[in-house]
This record gives sequence, C-alpha cells and structure tokens, in this order.
Amino acid sequence: MFYPLLSCNQILCFPLMFPEFRRLTFYLSTHSTAKYSMWSFLPRYLYLQFSKTANAFFLFITILQQIPDVSPTGKYTTLVPLLVILVISGIKEIVEDYVSLLLVNALKNTALNNAWQMILWKEVRIDFDSISFVLFFFSEPQATCFVATSNLDGETNLKIRQALSETATMKTEKQLSNLSGKIKCEEPNFHFNSFAGTLYLNEKSPISIGPDQVLLRGTQLKNTEWILGIVVYTGFETKFMQNAVKSPLKRSKVEKVTNMQILVLFLLLLVMSLVSCVGAIYWKDRYRAEPWYIGKNYDYHSFGFDLLVFIILYHNLIPISLLVTLEIVKYIQALFINWDEDMHFKGSNVYAMARTSNLNEELGQVEYLFSDKTGTLTCNVMTFKKCSIAGITYGPHCSDPQWQFSGSWKRLISCVPFLQPTKEYIKEFLTLLCVCHTVVPEREGNNINYQASSPDEAALVKGAKKLGFVFTTRMPNSVTIEARMSIIVRTPEGRLRLYCKGADSVIYERLSENSLFVEETLVHLENFAKEGLRTLCVAYIDLTEIEYEQWLVMYKKAITVVKDRMKTLEDCYDSIEKFLLLGATAIEDRLQARVPETITSLLKANIKIWVLTGDKQETAINIAYSCKLLSGQMPRIQLNANSLEATQQVISQNCQDLGALLGKENDLALIIDDGKTLKYALHVEVRKCFLNLALSCRTVLCCRLSPLQKAEIVDVVKKQVKAITLAIGDGANDVGMIQTAHVGVGISGNEGMLATNNSDYAIAQFSYLEKLLLVHGAWNYFRVTKCILYCFYKNVVLYIIELWFAIVNGFSGQIIFERWCISLYNVIFTSLPPFTLGIFERCCSQESLLRYPQLYRISQTGDIFNIKVLWIQCINAIVHSFILFWLPAKMLEHGSNFIVFCVCVICMLLFCLQFTHFAIWGSIMIWLGFFAVYSSLWPTVPVAPEMTGQVSVAHVLCPFSLSVSYRIRNTCHRTLLEEVREMESSGVQVLRVLISVTRMFTVHIYLLTASPCFALSDGYAFSQVERAVISQEELVRSYDTTKNKPQKTFSSATLE
Amino acid sequence: MSEKYMWVTCRTRMKRKCQNYESRLPDNTAVKQQQLPAFRLQLTASEILSGFFAIGLFCLGMGIILLLSAKSIKEVEINYTEKCATCAKLREEATNFDKECNCSISFYLPQKMEGNVYLYYKLYGFYQNLYRYILSRSNIQLVGADVKDVRNCAPFRTSDNGLPIAPCGAIANSMFNDTIVLWYNFNSSTHIRVPMVRTETAWWTDKYVKFQNPAFQNLSSAFAGTAKPPNWPKPVYELDENDPGNNGFINDDFIVWMRTAAFPNFKKLYRRLHRIGNFTEGLPAGSYSFIINYNFPVSRFQGQKAVVLSTLTWSGGSSLFLALTYVEP
Repeated sequence: MFYPLLSCNQILCFPLMFPEFRRLTFYLSTHSTAKYSMWSFLPRYLYLQFSKTANAFFLFITILQQIPDVSPTGKYTTLVPLLVILVISGIKEIVEDYVSLLLVNALKNTALNNAWQMILWKEVRIDFDSISFVLFFFSEPQATCFVATSNLDGETNLKIRQALSETATMKTEKQLSNLSGKIKCEEPNFHFNSFAGTLYLNEKSPISIGPDQVLLRGTQLKNTEWILGIVVYTGFETKFMQNAVKSPLKRSKVEKVTNMQILVLFLLLLVMSLVSCVGAIYWKDRYRAEPWYIGKNYDYHSFGFDLLVFIILYHNLIPISLLVTLEIVKYIQALFINWDEDMHFKGSNVYAMARTSNLNEELGQVEYLFSDKTGTLTCNVMTFKKCSIAGITYGPHCSDPQWQFSGSWKRLISCVPFLQPTKEYIKEFLTLLCVCHTVVPEREGNNINYQASSPDEAALVKGAKKLGFVFTTRMPNSVTIEARMSIIVRTPEGRLRLYCKGADSVIYERLSENSLFVEETLVHLENFAKEGLRTLCVAYIDLTEIEYEQWLVMYKKAITVVKDRMKTLEDCYDSIEKFLLLGATAIEDRLQARVPETITSLLKANIKIWVLTGDKQETAINIAYSCKLLSGQMPRIQLNANSLEATQQVISQNCQDLGALLGKENDLALIIDDGKTLKYALHVEVRKCFLNLALSCRTVLCCRLSPLQKAEIVDVVKKQVKAITLAIGDGANDVGMIQTAHVGVGISGNEGMLATNNSDYAIAQFSYLEKLLLVHGAWNYFRVTKCILYCFYKNVVLYIIELWFAIVNGFSGQIIFERWCISLYNVIFTSLPPFTLGIFERCCSQESLLRYPQLYRISQTGDIFNIKVLWIQCINAIVHSFILFWLPAKMLEHGSNFIVFCVCVICMLLFCLQFTHFAIWGSIMIWLGFFAVYSSLWPTVPVAPEMTGQVSVAHVLCPFSLSVSYRIRNTCHRTLLEEVREMESSGVQVLRVLISVTRMFTVHIYLLTASPCFALSDGYAFSQVERAVISQEELVRSYDTTKNKPQKTFSSATLE
Repeated sequence: MSEKYMWVTCRTRMKRKCQNYESRLPDNTAVKQQQLPAFRLQLTASEILSGFFAIGLFCLGMGIILLLSAKSIKEVEINYTEKCATCAKLREEATNFDKECNCSISFYLPQKMEGNVYLYYKLYGFYQNLYRYILSRSNIQLVGADVKDVRNCAPFRTSDNGLPIAPCGAIANSMFNDTIVLWYNFNSSTHIRVPMVRTETAWWTDKYVKFQNPAFQNLSSAFAGTAKPPNWPKPVYELDENDPGNNGFINDDFIVWMRTAAFPNFKKLYRRLHRIGNFTEGLPAGSYSFIINYNFPVSRFQGQKAVVLSTLTWSGGSSLFLALTYVEP
C-alpha cells in the first residue's frame, strides 16, 4: 500500500518490521526511479528524441516531403526509416528502463493488503531503494539506534537516533496494530539537519517529531538489531534525492566531433543543393526552354522550390541511423564492461559497472589520471602495526612478514606482567586505546565485532584486543567527540583520568611542559610516516576531583550557550587539556593488489598520474614509492610555502630551473605539501606558471587537500590541457573530482556508495583500471570511431552518386536509386556492418594491449578520429562514389538502359570489416532477398513498377560481381594493415624492428607499384594508399614508445 | 501543506517470506568475455607482394580476355543527323508533322557479321532521365487495368477535346517513330530487304507483366473513348496491325521505349536479324543501305541520332571500356 502514497507528503502507512539483520543499509540505487511511466513514455520519449538535432532534421524533411510535388522520393520514404529508428531506440529505452519498472512492480507487490507483514531485509531492500525516508518509531535497546551519515554529510562518526518516548514502549505487533493515527510533516526539502512533523495518535495529544526521530535515506544503520518505522518520504521526496545535484551530463570528445561533422555534412548538403540549383538554371538556360518531349505547359519552378527538391534528394547524406547505432553499440559496450570476469572482485563479488555508456570511447583517450590515495590505491583496511610507548618503539621490523605477534610485540605483551620502568606507561597506553574511541562493540556469541566510524579506530581497538585489552560494552552518552578525541574516565581505583588521542600536530600543541619522551616520540613519528604508516599521538592527564567539578560546571554552561556554542566548548576543553605524552600509534593501510604493476603500465601508456590526497605528505610520498609512482632516482620538486608571494617565487624559480625542459614531459615528481600551498598556487596570477610546472612533471602528488580542492585542481587541469582527464576515488570526499573530470571512476570500497553513485564507471579494485582503460577503453575507441567513420562513409558514398547522376540528368531532381531502396539503405541493408564494427572490432588482442601499454597512445592522441580524418574519409568516399557511378555508367552507356543500379550491394561491401562475415554476407543476402521480393511485387502490390523484372536481368550482376571481388580484396588489405600492430607488438623486440622495416619498405614498394603498373582502377588503389599511410603513421608512432632503445633513431628517420 | 490525510487501520498478520535470493551473476561465455575467436590475416611482405602480383595478373588476364571478346564484336554505327539534313530541317517545324520524309544511307560492310545481329537506334542528348519526364506515365493504364487512368501523366493527360490519352504521358508521347529498313545491295540491280524480327526485343517481364492490353475482344474497342498521344500519327492499337501479339501496349517497340534510359546518350534495341536465306550465317560483307522514314525530330533539342548494327558476346555489348579498366593503368 505504500506505493500510492508516493506522492503525498502527509502520510501514514504500516510500520515495517525488519528482524534478523545486522547492518541495515539504505542504498541509493541508480535505477531507483524509472525514467518513464506507462503514460508518460510516448510524449517524453518523443520529446527527447526530437530534441536531438539529427532527428529533428529528419522530421523536418518528412514534413517537407508532404508538400505536393516537392519530393522526388515520395511522401513517406523518410518517415519510415525515421519510425524504424525511433522504434529501435524506443525498445532500447524500454529495455534500459525495464529493470526500474520491475522494481516498481516489486514495490507494488509487496504492499498487497492492509496487513502487517514480517519481511526479511533481503526482500525489503529493493523497496528501500526507493522508499527511503523512514521515520522510526522505536528501536532497541533504549529506543535508540546508531546511524552513520557519511554518505550524506561526510562525517564519519556514528550518530544516535532516539524514538519518541510515547512510542518507545511499543515493541509487540499487538501494540502496533492497535496504533492508529496520522502524521503531518513538512514539505520535502534538502536540509539534512531539520525535520518538523507532528504525530497525531488517536485519543492522544499531538506529539512533535524532530530530526532525532528520523532516519534519512542514505544513512546506514549500525549495530542495531531492528527498527520499526513509518515511511514518510519516498523517491525524489527524500532529502537525499533533493540534495542530489544532477551529476553534470558528460559528453565525450568523439561525440562532439561527430556533432560537428554532422553540421559539416549539413553544410555539404546545402552546398550540393545550391550547386544543383545553379546547374538546373544553367541547364534550362542552355536549352532555353524545356525540350519538346517534356511538354510545354509546365510552370517553371522557382529557385527556392528547386532548393527544397534537392535538399530532399540529398538529405540522406546525413546518416539517419548513426545516432541509434551508436546508442546501441555503446549500450552493448557497457554490457561488455559489466560482464567482464577480469574485473570481477571475488572478495566482495562485485563486478565492474558502467553507469553511463556515453563515455565508453573516452576511456581510450585518458591522458591525466587523478587518483585518491586512501581506499583507492590502498585497501583502506587498517592494521595496527607499530607503536611507540614512552620513547620505545614496538612492532615488527619492516622486512618481517610475520608481524603480528612475533618479535617485539611479544616483548610488549610480556612487559606488562613484569616490573619494568615503562610498564605503567604500556598499561596506560593500551587502556587508552581501549577506551578512547567511538567504536561500538557488537557481540556475537563469544566474538566481539567492532563497528567503527573510521577504520583507524577499529584497527587500534582490535590491536589492543589482541594484546589482551578487550573492549566489550559501551553505554551511550559516555563518549566525547571532537576533532581530537578526549575522554574522561573514572578508573576502578576511583581516580579521574583524561585520555586523548589525535593527530601529532594537535597533541603536541597541548602537551604540558613536564611531558616526557617528546623528542623520542617525534623521531619515531617521522620514522613511521616514512614507512607509509598513519600515525596518531596519545596522551593522558590525571584530573583531581576539584578540577573535574569545575570543568563540569563550565562544560554544562557551555553546552547551553546558544551563541558561539562551539567556540565556548572548545575553550572549555582547552582549559583542562594539558597532556602528558604517552606515545604514538602507527597504522598500516596496505596497498591494493597489483597497484604498482597497474601504475607502471599506466605510466607506460603515457597516462600522467596525479595523486590527490587528504593525507599527510610523508605518508603520501611513501605510498607513492611503494606503488612505484616515484622511484629513488627521480628528482623531486617540493612546494611548500605560506604566502602567495613565496609560492609565486618558488614556482617561478622552479620554472626557470627547468628552462627549456618546461612544457615537455620530464622524469620529475612534483609534490605539493599542503592545501594551503595549492590554494596559493591556483591563484589567478600564479596558476599559469604552476600548471606549466606541474604539466612538465611525470607525477604530481598533492597532499592535505580538501574535497573542493581536489575538484578544483581537476577542473583547472581539464581546462588547461584540453586532454581527457579521469578521476578515481572511493570516498565522499572524491565526489567532487569524480564529477568534474571527463570520466569519473568510483571504487566500490569501504567508504559507502557515494563515490560509486556519482561515478561514470564503478570498479572494485584500482588494478581493474588497467583493463578498463587499456583494453575496454582502446577497443571502445576504435569501435566507436570506426563505426562513425563507416556510417559517414557509406552515406556519403551512396548519396554523392546522386550528385553525379544529377549532372547527366539535367539537374532535374531525378533519383538514381529506387526510392525505397534509398530509404531502407540505412536502416536495413547497411545496418549490420556498423553494428558488428561497433561491437566486435578489435584493434588488436587483449593480451597485446596489456603487454604493450604503449599501444594506448594510438587512441589517446585521437589521431585516428578528428575532423581531418573525417574529411579524408569524406573525400575518399566522394572518390569512391565517383568511381562507382562513372565506371558502370561508362560500361553501360553502350548497351543497357536502366534507371536503377544495384550499387547498394557494392557500397555495402566497400568498407568491410574483419571477421564478422556474417554481417556482410547477411547484408548482401538481405539486399538480394529484398531485391527479389520487391521487384516481383508489381502489379500485385501497387509499388515499385520500375523495379519489376530486374531480378531476371542477371547480367547486371555479372560485371558487379567482379567489383565485389575487388572489394573483398580491399578488405584484406585493410585487415592486414591493422594487423601490423598486433604482429609487431606480439613479436620479439628485435624481430619487431625488422618486420616493421620490411613492412614500411613494402608499403613504399606497394605505393610505387600500385599506382602506375597495375590494372587496378584508381579508386581501389587510392583506398589502399590511404589506408597504408594511416597505418604507417600508427606504426611509427607505436615505435616511438621504445625511446630508449637503439632503434629509435632509425624509426624516426623513417618517419621523416 | 496539503490537507489530504490518509487513514489506515492496521490488522496484524505476520507472514514470513523466505525466498532464495539468487545472485544475478553474468554467465561466463566467450561472447560476454569478448573472447570470440577472430580471424585475422597475418600477411607478410612477400605475401602481400605475391598477392598483389597475383591480382595484377588476374586483372591483366581478365582485361585481355575482355578486350579480345570486345574486339571480336563487329559494330557499325551511322549517325544520320547530318546525312539527312533536309529531313532534319523539315522536322524542326512542328507544323510539318504530316509531311513524309525519307532518307537513304549507304554503307559498305567490309567483313561479315556472324551470328545474331542486332539493329539499334541511338539517340544523343535526349534526356530520358528528367524527373518530370520519368514520372509522366501511368503504370496502371499500361498494365491494362484502367485505360482511362491518366493521373500522373501531366502534361499529356487529355487531348484537346478532353479525352484521356492512351498511352498517356510524356514518355509515350515522345516515342521514337522513325522506321528503319535495311537493304542488302547484292549487286547494283538486286536489292534484298534484310529480314528483321520486330518482337522479343523487350524484357520478358515487361512484355508479360508490366504491359498488358485491356481485356477486350477487339483492341480498337478497348481503346474507345481515348485519344492518341498528340505526337503520334496513329493510335496505339494500330502499332502493328499484322500481329495481335505485338499490338497495343504490348508492342515491343513501345515497351522498349517506355523503359527509360539512365543517360542522355543511349541506344535501344530496334530489330533482330531474322537468320534465313542469305542471312543464315549473319550479315554477309557487302554494300548495304538504310532507308529511313525520318519522323523523330532531334535538332530541336540539339540532339543527334544514329543507327547501330552490332553483334553480342558473353561479356555484353561492344564496350572496350570494361576491358580497358582492367588493363590500363
């Protein structure tokens, strides 16, 4: 029953009971709300479709065709393919939406009758994806529950929600079933911290409901057995959705170029129409009047009318099927990414997910990679590895793999029972680790699981547990939370003690003068950081009863202060925090599997990697070393300045030092120490200089950045270099940069789903990035670009023929091909080859792409698809169409009299692809079948009288079959030149060179022999030449990558 | 806030639903993992070269064969636009349409033409492919379904007195109407008229599917109530009064004309040699003359016309072009 309630704001519905689940997570599902409903589908869909320029253009043409006498191609020949396109793309939309529809249906089904139902969480989960604002009545143990709101506001600590006292007693179903009333609540809004509602229970006075009684969508229930609640907001009404900034619509570079090219084709169309109009005028002028055989009492058509005729005649130059082909192709490419077993993380059973299919080919062009550190490069699984207590380090040595209880850990434990000078300190230290945190214990039999807001804390508590200090229960309200964490405890002996744990800088500020081990611990801290460990300092102080009482009074006053409460509280805390240093902890965050290998191969692929982290510089550098981002001999430039002037000076100094190397890629690492320096560096005056410096470095490391700065730096680089940027991260603090970058990749890790939900692609491990970029990216790029080129080519080649024909028919607007053949050419006869190109094309095998990341540069530079290539392709197509028209024309001039040629067949073959012969032969069969059927229709069905009997004229095919053989040969050449890359890349290094040299040589010979000596007609020779040149370039380019090798000079010489 | 409240009373019915939650793992197939076997050509330099030479040789061979076959074709083309200048002059004035004009052209055939010999007429500069020209016909009329269907035939739809024209339209109206007769000058006194067949010059489907006379006992009554095209000297049912199978819409000359040419210069089949008597082997060498009844005006559109005698081979007509594309660089 809650489905119908989706749209009201004042609702009451059945409480749902969720037994037997540990962690209730309200996930945000991407398809939580279907895009279309049953009724809105058609209007909405049509609106979306016709807001695309190309579709609108074809609609316009269709309307033009309805004007009597204008259209040389009949009234419905554009309408039908357009409908076909719309239907296909509609089916695709429905399929995409189908999942969501299912969800909605499931929702309806779960709410069948007005009854309470006990539903397992597993089943309810789907519902809660969309219904997500739960006002909860009550929970246990003290009508409270813990929630984590990190997905909403980024705060990692647990928060407490408490049920209304009026309903807190209602635990049984009977009590609840007697409950009847209504809830009135405020209109949906996006403020997370406010909620106002009133509960009217029958026969009771109204009770007000505040934010403390509300579970927002996106929060995570922590260590709470079950809750009872009422849904108040659903779907887009939830605060989560109200807050969700529509992630910016990202469009790929290729798409932009394509749109541009469609525009260019439109101009070409206009030019052709104008030329034809002028031709028509010239023709009429030459014959002064129409020849006698056409009849005299005809009106002359105006120039404008002729223009319309020719626009309709040539309008198919713009490939009608391109957009829908691309949509489907990209959809399937995205499915390939989703299906990839190599990107399946067995650990959490998570597959890679392409959340958008717009950017598939963009993955093949990434040049700058911005990576988060924690959780992205590392596992974000913390282990308590070392500590320094009272000036002595405990923990395994770096090289010791058996770290946990071996070596000095044992010594640490064994210290406790013995009388040693540091014994007391060790005890205090471990007690502190046990007590001073926000971790919530969760009992499960004899085991205790710890639920922590930050993995660091869990690591410390677990570490302490292993050392014998077990943390078992927690009472609410007894933990004080602050930037650093302090806690006041009463020890069993009755003494009051203040424990504190926090970042070194914070703790050191607050140490009292008589604190011991300050120097030693500082040295240890530095050592820990150098090893890539995360450090915390711990300290304590004993309080007297009087001090405590005084402080308590102050504290109570402070928390009731309305104005500047935070400030007052802080002062209050500071007043008693004069610590004695105990020591420091060091936590290791291990690197994810295969991170160094991945980074190495990404670097080889000419991808520049920037690490943007909130962590401190030593840790970041260390991680960078261990993942091979930095190497020992790599010179480092370190930026750390406190003012704008200083920053400016340092940067310009460094720029000067680089001199001529500035702007080139150097084997340098740039390290920015903190966010402050970056802030100055990105200042308008310094920015350009800074970017020059940063872009000349191979690796850039930015530490201590805020989420906003991460996004800012991505934005700045994106604008400056005009290259494709990719941002990868796992936490809420990475969302900004993920949304800013051209491509955002989210790692579905420990830190919630926010990054994943805002990303374009979600993967489970950093190392999957390698396959995602080098294989899927490169493949998709090749596929999409070839598909586009093919679509342009096939249309240009066919419809330019109309122009040639116009020359011999006096620019009268006569069509050369039968009208339905033209209109179905795109949607039926030549629909399969682009699909197979887009889906199955492989530039080379997966293994070679992974083994030779250098191959990525081919797609990265985008040289195989830009305006120039498109133009070459168009010119190529024009030449081919010239041949296709004039060759048969000259051949047939002597004998035959046809108005319709079977050129379609040939056109289909011209640009054939490698291995999916099915598509080619399928297309030919379709054409021949269509041809046979279509031409026998008249007079039974009143269409196409001029086609009648053409099938029987077998000799039409005779000369053409020869041309077919040409085309197949052409195909072979194409394949081969593609193959070069694979061959050379899979070959042995030395062999590679040899082969390539021979090949280049061959190509040259080939060029020489091709044109003058042989009997190939020019067009084919041309096409070979053209292909050869492209491939040669590619070949040389892929050689340049082996720069250090001796053959470098040779290959570049060949390039000249 | 809206004042709409929804009241619900609750009954309890506990029901535990347990369903196996199947994880929707993708199945691991070659298609989905993109591991389909792919055939790729791995050609070496020598393979390319040899392949290239092989294709070159193939083309060369094809070219030579085609060339030889094209050379073996005997073809005679005589342009009679200039030669029949008087007639051409006469036809420039549309008012002279009823004046007869004959023209004789003699030529010498140095070698005999063996086998089937075909007689074509050829027009230069006649745009049968003009948009409005092509449209100006009625396929429904031509298939015999409705003789009075002249919808698409503008501007030759109805005659001056309002009768529908049959066959209507610009194409039919402009039908080539010269009569060409070939005489064999056996010697200076004996002239033999070369026997020619006027049927089976059109496509089978045209003759038996696309073109049908209206179903009537008498052809002339079938066309009652229609008018002849303005340019025609006689109505359609008198095109060949000797052969009812070649009269009316199914007249071969008419059908051949109605299949419009794609180019402004085209030739159309006119007659086939009837291989009897002296001509069993083909056309013997010797002196011939065409007697042409000159009706079709071409000078008005700056066109030209010619008559062509030709034999055929398997590769089609006498076209060197195809052969040359193979052989020439």
